[in-house]
Formats: sequence, C-alpha cells, structure tokens
Amino acid sequence: MSSRYSQIDPRGPRFSAAITAVLLLVAIGTALAAGTPHTLQERLVQPSFVLFVVLAALFAWGAFAGVARSPWGLLFRTLVRPRLAPPKDLEDAAAPTFAQGVGLFVVSAGLVLYLAGVPLSLEIAGSAAFIAAFLNAAFDYCLGCQLYLLLVRARIIAP
Amino acid sequence: MEPSTVLIALAALVTFAALLGVLYRVTRSRTSRVSASASVSGIELGGGATLLQFSSEVCSACAATRRVLRSVSDEHPTVVHVDVDVTSRPDLVSRFNILQTPTTLVLDSRGVAVARIGGGVRRETVVTELARALDSSPTSQN
Repeated sequence: MSSRYSQIDPRGPRFSAAITAVLLLVAIGTALAAGTPHTLQERLVQPSFVLFVVLAALFAWGAFAGVARSPWGLLFRTLVRPRLAPPKDLEDAAAPTFAQGVGLFVVSAGLVLYLAGVPLSLEIAGSAAFIAAFLNAAFDYCLGCQLYLLLVRARIIAP
Repeated sequence: MEPSTVLIALAALVTFAALLGVLYRVTRSRTSRVSASASVSGIELGGGATLLQFSSEVCSACAATRRVLRSVSDEHPTVVHVDVDVTSRPDLVSRFNILQTPTTLVLDSRGVAVARIGGGVRRETVVTELARALDSSPTSQN
C-alpha cells in the first residue's frame, strides 16, 4: 500500500478530533448568541468570526503540515501517548490528513458565506464539522473511508 | 439568542451527532449475500476461498481489517487474502459498486462472490461467511 504518508498512532487523530469538537461547539454557541451583524465591519470583529478563523487555521495546519505536526498532534505525542499502552497497529496518516482538509473546506465555506451576510452560515458549517469531529472522536468513524471513494469515482480527485 | 436557547441548540446538536454515531455502529460490518454469476478475474484465487479486500489510501479502518483477514486466511491453508487498492482496479470497484473502504468480498473457489462485508470487519462475521463459501465451493463438496 501507499507509503507517501508516515505511520501514526490512530488514537492521535481521535484525541485531536475531541479537542476540535469541543472548540467547534464553543464557536457555534458564540455564533448563535451573537447572530449575523448587518455591516461587514461588524461581522469582521465578531468573536465568533475570529474563533472560526482560528479553527480554519488549525484545520489548514493539520491538512498541510500533516496531523502528526498539528498542535493537537504534538500535544498527543508529548503528553498523552507516553502514558498509554502501545497501539495495536499504526495507521497511515493519509486518512486523518484528508479529514483535516474536509474540515478546512467546510469551515472556509461557512466563513465566506458569513462575510457575505448569509444568516446561520457559521452555525451550519460549524455543525457539519462538529458532527464529523464528534463521530471521529467518540465512534471512531472514518469519514475518508466513505467520502474518498465517492470523490474518486466522481473523478473529483485523481487517484 | 438567549443563552438558555443557545445551550438547548447545542445539546440538540450533540444528541443528533450521538444518534448518528449509534446508527453507524449498528450498521457497521453489515453483511449481505451476493447473487452468483459475479465472478472475479485478474486476481490470484485461493483453492478453497478468497477474501478480497478493497482498500484505499484514505482509510483508517483498512489496517485493522487487513490484520483480521490475514490472520483468518493464515488459519486456512486453502484460503487466500487479497488486498486491492480501489484506484488500481476501477473495473472491480464499479462492477461491485464499492462505495466505502474497506469492503470485503468473500469469493468461493471459482471466484464467485458469495458475501460482501461493508466497513471494518468483525472476526466472527468473517469466519461464518468463510465457512459458507467453503461449503458452496464445488471442490470442497467432492
């Protein structure tokens, strides 16, 4: 199989997903409480907007630098993994890296629509990202296992 | 929005996600019987049966499935485990309408698919379906 990506402890991405899910929940709550202001200037300084920009940056970090080098990946490796038993098997970093890319895409779409003044765009995009992160953390659900093949078959991404 | 309404909305979101997760758990590793005449060409078949696994690069459950299938096939001398990357065999992917990885096909000795397991596999499921495939193979009936 492929070896373009490094092999990582599969519990690392789940740990990261748990933190991401909590942050998304906070961001969604902030956005719901604040609503969508009428002017662009007001929207740009909303705390919820800033939170989602930070989340998008974290997704981008994981997607481009690799999950093992993202902040939560580093935290897992230095603080959590030394306290755990060795994993049963390692996984290819490709799947969780792809998931970070999906998170970046969804949150970015929400940010663009929010800046355009579309109501509830941050809340809806954030909820979609939250569901994916929550399922990954709590149920070991692998989004890439389902999504990647559909994209390949639709020839959206080249194999 | 009022803080209490926000909390209710967030609780609803978490509940919804948890329900989706339970649904995923229930339907995971679902097995279906495949109608005959769908035989597979271009892969090396086992004399008794073949465990044909479809994997992709972007798949965290594939490694665990590979481990289970490999250990089951190691216990049966006539059973072979074949791991196929979906991008290398688009013909098989569209023929068997593979929508997720891993998907495992259990083939009898003629290369006819007799069962299909979607998602990560449970060892007991594989053992049961493999026994059926070995039974239905003409070579093992003689």
